[in-house]
Amino acid sequence: MSRLNYDPFQAIADNNRRQILMMLSEKSLSINLLADQFDISRPAVSKHIKVLEETGFISIRQEGRERLCELNSAGFDAVREWLTYYDQFWKRKLQNLEALLEQRKKGKKGR
Amino acid sequence: MKRDIRIKWFFPHPVEEVWECLTNPELVNTWLMKNDFRPVVGHHFQFHARPLPKMGWDGIVYCEVLELKPNERLVYSWKGGPRPGVITLDTLLTWTLAPVQGDTEMILEHTGFKGMKNMLSSIFMERGWKKGITRRFENVLKERGYEQA
Repeated sequence: MSRLNYDPFQAIADNNRRQILMMLSEKSLSINLLADQFDISRPAVSKHIKVLEETGFISIRQEGRERLCELNSAGFDAVREWLTYYDQFWKRKLQNLEALLEQRKKGKKGR
Repeated sequence: MKRDIRIKWFFPHPVEEVWECLTNPELVNTWLMKNDFRPVVGHHFQFHARPLPKMGWDGIVYCEVLELKPNERLVYSWKGGPRPGVITLDTLLTWTLAPVQGDTEMILEHTGFKGMKNMLSSIFMERGWKKGITRRFENVLKERGYEQA
């Protein structure tokens, strides 16, 4: 497994990488075919593809002599995680608030 | 796909007390996060927490008070991202209080989660991508189940 250097947001912050995602949304493409669509160098395209793969936006599989890129779901789930995170976050915080209110009530009575 | 968070909570305390805890920055600090909130519409403030690099968040929430009706309703924006100047989470927080026989019923709504589909779409739109391409992209995402309830 390769190390994750980019987060999903950084991954799609780049114009070339967004373009790659757009192209792959139409159909799966080999690295060669993708590289042909860009003015930038082939190694540069490969680098972008690698970033997208590492962040889970695309997956690459060997098909014959070609390496085929296709959209993957993992990167798209990242934002969904926010919902789950905040759902728990707010419940935890509201429990804090409840405790604080209770504490203040007691404090007032004690005065 | 679920887009919003809505939590209903009952507090056996008067609305005035709950409101105080929502709008007094020192109190907000004790139960929520470090902040420089002020109960003034248009006031920009921040919350500070531990960063969550995995989720692309540097730990700062950028907010603006949008609505304020004492003891009833408080609305502020809730934005964040991986580093200053980059907003990837653009949401809205609404607190609604209602007195129930001397106690308080609170509804907390955290809305505007766009999901990756909408997020990508809006990025593409901003860049002036052709509508047809965006639609195709959306269709692919739909096929892959991102549109499911």
